[in-house]
Amino acid sequence: MNAPIVKLGRAASFALLLFLPLPILVIGATSFAAAGYLRFPPGELSLRWYAEAATDPRWIEAFVTSLGIAAVVSVLVTAIAFAGAYACHRLRPRWLPAFELAVMSPLFFPHAALGVALVNVLAMAGYLGSATGIVIAHIVCTLPFAWRPIVVALQRIDGEIVEAASLLGADERRIALGIALPLARSGLVTALLFSFIISFDEVTITMFLTGPQVTTLPVQIYAFIQENASPVLAAISTATVVVTLVVVMLLERLIGLEFFVAHDPA
Amino acid sequence: MRGATSAPRGLGWLLLPALLVLALFLGSVALLLFHAFWGKDGFSLIYFRQILDRADYHDVFLRTVSIAAIVAVAAAVLAYPIAWLLWRLPRWRNLLLVIVLVPWLVSLVVRTYGWLVILGPKGFLNETLKWAGVIQSPLPLIFNDLGVVIGLTHVLMPFSVIATLSVLLQIDNRLEEASESLGAGGFETWRRIVLPLSLPGVFTGLGITFLTSMGAIVTPILLGGIRQKMAGTQIYQEVVYNFNMSKASAWAICLLLLSGLGLALLRALEAALVPKADR
Repeated sequence: MNAPIVKLGRAASFALLLFLPLPILVIGATSFAAAGYLRFPPGELSLRWYAEAATDPRWIEAFVTSLGIAAVVSVLVTAIAFAGAYACHRLRPRWLPAFELAVMSPLFFPHAALGVALVNVLAMAGYLGSATGIVIAHIVCTLPFAWRPIVVALQRIDGEIVEAASLLGADERRIALGIALPLARSGLVTALLFSFIISFDEVTITMFLTGPQVTTLPVQIYAFIQENASPVLAAISTATVVVTLVVVMLLERLIGLEFFVAHDPA
Repeated sequence: MRGATSAPRGLGWLLLPALLVLALFLGSVALLLFHAFWGKDGFSLIYFRQILDRADYHDVFLRTVSIAAIVAVAAAVLAYPIAWLLWRLPRWRNLLLVIVLVPWLVSLVVRTYGWLVILGPKGFLNETLKWAGVIQSPLPLIFNDLGVVIGLTHVLMPFSVIATLSVLLQIDNRLEEASESLGAGGFETWRRIVLPLSLPGVFTGLGITFLTSMGAIVTPILLGGIRQKMAGTQIYQEVVYNFNMSKASAWAICLLLLSGLGLALLRALEAALVPKADR
């Protein structure tokens, strides 16, 4: 009696799972359609939309900007998170729970509210509409995501190794850079790749901060959808999907994806 | 890696960069409050009155909260079977996890654009149905509340999958074995053992998706109609088109309060539904 129900449930669940990549697959298919739109039955295939995107300096510039901002953000936020998390781990200050809550607090802000808050502060500092401003905003938004994997990795380090190194005369610098840094590398790589992908694909907060001088790829995609939904968008969008896929696969190969579904050890 | 050796010294400065980021964030929240509550002659509630006195804005708040609630529930219900599938197929979990994670991490503007291509008046679905002779004129699937709900639900489902799966993975296998050896079937075991134990994950997902829907801008603008305004789209308009930071800040504070209220209600509901030992 129960077996058919379970089997049916499994089939339905699988259908729901395939629903998740559906819009991405449709965009991918559209990007190769010569007609510029997807229809059934499918028409002729072509790479013309990719050629058009690759020869348009606006798209190249936005793509390079997005990659550059994501690279700078991921390196900076991982360094900031490692330094902070390491100090917290070693010093165990009494205010640690409050501090960690503060680090996580941007997660409790709806993006629209976070966007306005960051516009306020970046406008005051004169960074509105600049790459620096976007980098600063992305660091604020990605710090919680970089912080967690590094804390988890630090907690996994065997305390006796540190103790032994300390007894053998290693100074704090040596312990931090020679022991903690390499042993926490799974957390560092996760933080680096995770923050890269968040920064690269972020749109809701970034669209408050771009200006005539600088715009990111997702924000430009948004602007173009509003203006005219040219099929070039499908090619560009597919390019961003490829970047995201490459980073996720890299993370899967290097570290594994367990981090995303691991329960909070704290 | 806490050692028994003396407390390490000279590490405090490592906290400085993180503290700087934190100060920036807290400073931006302080500025938000300042802009919202500071008028031409000092403390003022004028910007809040400009928002709360307008009946059409009441509709915006109501729409924002109802859409966020519907989306959160829909995402939880649709995501649960996916989480269950990943939990039951450990050998395939990594591959299936990629299918969940990639759509989650791909820019939401790209996913929203995908729905535009599928559901638009001349989109894939309408054209296919017309070609098959099922419909004569295109179905109004987007540029209305339905489009916003479909788009947001899809965009946020992966959050619910991940939140639910991470709790399912905590469940002790022996509980299931015990239930089945006592004669309960697969469905019965799920209903009486697995479902109650996985509810905390479902509630975490509900919280995240509700909060994110409340602050959504891109999906409501692209898939909603001109009249389907939400709090996020209003805030964006005040900042980018009207340059009215005071009103935008007041909007943001209203949004924060409403979101907090929603999360508190959700918490209370969870407390009522989930036995204490499971939380």
